[in-house]
Formats: sequence, C-alpha cells, structure tokens
Amino acid sequence: MALDRLLNVARKEFSDHITSRRFIIILALFLVISAVSIHEGIGLYNNRLEAYNEQLQHMPEAEIEGPYPGWMPEKPSIMLVFLFMMSYMATLGSILALAIGFDLVSKEKESRSLKTLLSHPVYRDEIINGKVLGGVGALGFAMALALAVSLAMLLVFSVVPTLDEFAAILIFGAVSLGFLLAYFAIALTMSTVAKESGNALIYTLVIFFAVTTLLPVLGMMAADALAGDPPELPETAVPMPTPAQSSGGGYDTAVSVDDPRETDPAWREYEEARKAYVEKRRLISDVSSIFSPQMNYMMVSMAVMSPETSAMYTSYGAVQAEEPADLADALGRVWMNIAALIVFPAAFFAATYVKFMRMDIR
Amino acid sequence: MIRTENLTKVYNGKTAVDGLDLEVGEGEVFGFLGPNGAGKSTTILMLTGMIESTGGRCLVDGIEVAKDPLKVKEIIGYLPEDVGFYGNMTGEQNLDYFARFYGMDARKRKERIADLLDLVHLGGVTQKAGEYSRGMKQRLGLAQALINDPKVLFLDEPTANLDPEGVREYRDLVNRLAGEGKTVFVSSHILSEVRAVCQTVGLLAKGKLVAQGTLDEVARTLAPSDGDAVRIVVETREHLPAIEDPEILAVERNGNRAVFRAKTDIRDRLAASFFEQGVHVREMRVEEPDIEDVFMAIYRR
Repeated sequence: MALDRLLNVARKEFSDHITSRRFIIILALFLVISAVSIHEGIGLYNNRLEAYNEQLQHMPEAEIEGPYPGWMPEKPSIMLVFLFMMSYMATLGSILALAIGFDLVSKEKESRSLKTLLSHPVYRDEIINGKVLGGVGALGFAMALALAVSLAMLLVFSVVPTLDEFAAILIFGAVSLGFLLAYFAIALTMSTVAKESGNALIYTLVIFFAVTTLLPVLGMMAADALAGDPPELPETAVPMPTPAQSSGGGYDTAVSVDDPRETDPAWREYEEARKAYVEKRRLISDVSSIFSPQMNYMMVSMAVMSPETSAMYTSYGAVQAEEPADLADALGRVWMNIAALIVFPAAFFAATYVKFMRMDIR
Repeated sequence: MIRTENLTKVYNGKTAVDGLDLEVGEGEVFGFLGPNGAGKSTTILMLTGMIESTGGRCLVDGIEVAKDPLKVKEIIGYLPEDVGFYGNMTGEQNLDYFARFYGMDARKRKERIADLLDLVHLGGVTQKAGEYSRGMKQRLGLAQALINDPKVLFLDEPTANLDPEGVREYRDLVNRLAGEGKTVFVSSHILSEVRAVCQTVGLLAKGKLVAQGTLDEVARTLAPSDGDAVRIVVETREHLPAIEDPEILAVERNGNRAVFRAKTDIRDRLAASFFEQGVHVREMRVEEPDIEDVFMAIYRR
C-alpha cells in the first residue's frame, strides 16, 4: 500500500465530509449543544464549588460535633462540566458519525464513480482505508472543535483547568472519538453491504437502535431472569446505616463501629448472598452492555470525569476510604469497556474491509 | 499489445467468458463486437485489472494483468460503460483527483487537465459533475481515460450517450489517437460504430470468440456456406437468354434478373455472351455476404 495513494483518497474524503451540507448542519448543531451543555456544566460546577467553600468554612464545627468525625469535603472537579456534554455526545455525536458513514460506499456504487476510480492505479484496500482515515479525520475535527469550544467557554467563565484536568479533558476527547468511531464503523459496514444508500441508512438505524436501546433492556431482562430472586433480609434485620451524601456529589463511606452486619451471623450470611446476587446480576448486565457503545462510553467517560462515582458503580459495596480513586485506577476498573470501545469499531472495520475487497463492481 | 490466453470468467456457476484467445497488435484500433450479455464488459474488466479471471491469463504490453494490475493501470485508460463521477466535484476536480494517482506534479496536472477538458469541449464548464448531462459525463469519461496519456485505451460502449456531433468528435479523436500509435480497444454492440473506426474486429457470442480479423474477413468466415460456388447476380434490360457454360452449376431466374451459381468467377464470359446476343446488362456483380445480416444471425443465436 502506497502512502501517497492512501492519503489522496483520505484527503478527498475528508474534504468531502467537511464541505458537505449534511456534516456542516449536524456539526453546527453539535457545537451549539456542546456549548449549551458546557454552560450548564459550569453552572453545576460553580454550585458545587460554592457548597464546598461553605463546608470548608464550617469544618471546625463538623470535626467536633458532626456525625462523621474526620470527614473532609471533596473539592468538585472541573470534569463535572463535561457531564452534560457526555450525554449530548452519546446522542447527537452518534448521529453525526452515522450521517457521515452510511453512504460512503453505497453512494459510489450508485453513481458508478467507484468503477471509474478503480480503473486508475489504486488498490481497493487503499480506497477503503482512505475512506476510514478521511472519516476519522472529519470526526476528529468535529471533536477537536467541540473541545476547543468547551475550553474557550471554561476560560471565558474563569474556570482554569489544572494540568491533570487538562489531560483528563484530552482523554475524554479521545474516548468520545472512540465512541463516534464505533457508530461510524457500523454505518460504513452497512454502506458496503447495502446496494443502495436508502437501504444502508435503514440497516444502520436498525443496528443503532438495537445496540443503544434494545441491548441494555435485553441485558436487564436477562439479568432478572437468570439471577433469580434477591436473597431475603434476615428476621433480625435492623435498619441499615445510611452513608451520608457529601456536598461534593460523592458519598462518605464511613460506617459506625457497632454495625450489626459485623456481629450477627444471619446478617453476614445475608451479606454474602446479596453480594453474590448483585455480582451475578452485574455480570449478566455487563456482558450485554459490553456490546453497546453507548454503555461503554458512559462507563469510560464516567471513569474519566468522576473516578469516585465510577468506583462506586464498578465496585460492590463501599469503597475503602483509604483508597482514594484516581484516574488510572478508575480507568483500570473499566478496562473491559475500554477494550470494547476499541474492539467494536475494529470488528466492523474488519467486516467492511473484507466485504469491500470482495465486492462485485460490474 | 493485448493478448488473452484461454481467458475464462465464471460468475456464480455461469460462464461469462469462456476460454477467450485474443490478440490485438500495437497501434491497432480493435472492435470488440457482440450482443448484450456476450461477455464484452467482463473481458474488459479482466483486461483492465478490475476483476480477476477464473482461468487463463491476459497480458497488456507484455505485463500479466493478474500479477501486476497496478502497472497495467498505469499504461492504460478505461472508459467504462455508464461512466460515473463524484457529483459534488467539478469536472476539473474529478480529473485532478484521478491524476494524483499517477504521481503528476501540480503544474503537469493543471496543464494536462486543461488540455483534456478543451479536447472534450468541457473547458470553462464550472458546474458540478452531478449536474452534467449524460453526454457531458461521457465526454468527461473520455478525458479521464486519457489523463495518463495511455498506451492502450479501452472504451466500453463509447458512443452510448453521445449526440451525433459527439459521435463525430469521438470518431475523430479515435482516429487521432490511432495516428499517434495508440492501441484502442472498442467494445460495442453497434456494428456501424465499430465499422466507422476499427481496422480489425473480434466477435464474441455467449462468452466465446466466434471470429477475428477485418470486418470483411469476419463476415466471409461467418457467412452461410455455399460450398466453393461463386454467386453472380445479373440484371438485363431484355429478357435473359439461355447461357451455356460448363462452369455454371445452377441458375435462379426471376424475370430480367438471375443469380448464377458457378464454379469460378465467370463474369467476363457472361458479359461477352450477353454482348454477342445483343442483351444490355444493367448490373453484374459477385454477391458478397451482407455483413449486417451475418452479424445479426450471430446476435440472434
């Protein structure tokens, strides 16, 4: 494969994308909604910051009189700002990715330009790889613009990220791009399989709804069906101590020393059974959600934006106070979701490649 | 320049091209004739390295196409049937995209594209290719086939979408290319088109090569056999008299007209005999097989 031929195809594809009316309209909407979501996120961040400062002012009283001595309020992270952007990205971003991919090959088949192109000295793999590269470039361009708008808004509202937070923002961008690639790969595969763009769009939408809506629901149903009924509370049940919610959005996980769960054997047995039940349910649910780019994106993004919250989702029971969740730990806990975000588009790209190489061009 | 050896292509168990042996010399304008579905386009796709053959091999300028399709594509030009372009780009942009695959620098590309667009009368056309008429697309197709100044040009149904003026210009272009020593391979089901530009033809039917040579040679080869007899058509002003000649095998009379089946061409003796008997001859000719009829008979098989 010659790089110049590959780049020639990629350059043309990238140029086609960023100058197409469809891309420009969806990108504009994408950027506006990103800006709005960042604005909402900044509002949330400022509220949390205000609460944090108030708590700090009352710290001496809390240390002495509060129910949880030794508790420290948690400073809110700038990454909170991107919480809303994540949910918009999951919907509008995927539409952008589908929109640029669903007719990439089928349109060439319909217009017969593919046959003309193939009559010139270029291999088929260079064409399909160039199309992928051009699409990735266009999505990367869209993502870079969205992040640039976000950073600009942060600075406008005098929210300056630290170096670590800046790195986390870049990682969030990379994860978001990986998520967009998953849907781009689905659309490209359908475009290669279908003879007409109309059919390609229908196939793409069917798969989109299957993996975003149907799969998680089926996963929950399978979890309910296979995990059975939850264990019943022991007769000696007493009210569970409730962890106090911190003003920073996290939970303080300290429990009182005379916890009946540590002294009553029936409680310990119940706890074991409940842990096994929850893990079984989560395993079934995880297996199904691993095929959903949306779920994987949410899990990985949450690990980047709020490692503490992510740790609560991915761990059974309480997170030990002496193990503060950092970004690397949080990403380590969601390694399966990260792997799925890589494997999912790779599998579809591979299918596209095989189909395109064998395509009848008469 | 072009050679196929037992070239075969099978699609889903159906043989589209069946053991094709073909040879086209350098500088020849070759017409590849045959009815729709005969396997002409499939043969061209194999010759241009766009699909692989099921059996046999083909060579262009000594290069085996299946082994080095890219090298072949560098020296050929191909105008597909119903040629397509990128509708969001102008003709110039389309040509520039294709030209980049030949490693031409920007200046060379610009010059070549301007020359070709002028050649096909699309110079100065700024509209997008998606807005082109079919005739304009066909002319742009010719330009893209010539972008690399090819040694061999494959044209698949080149006049399909052209108006009479376009057809005339196409013929002039092919003649000019032939004058430059290029080999031109024209695939068509229209005999008159092939007859207008081609020196030699090959007739394909049901994937098999039925005949190859000049049009007259092919027509003679395929004409219904009448043994070695010569058919002489005669029309006289007066009633045809009885003619005695040992060479005559049979006479079919119809008023003042007759067709003599003879062992040899005896027109001189017939003329002398009619003169001696005072009969005026209006027409006397050796009946050649009608080329259209011969080809139609093959097409209908």
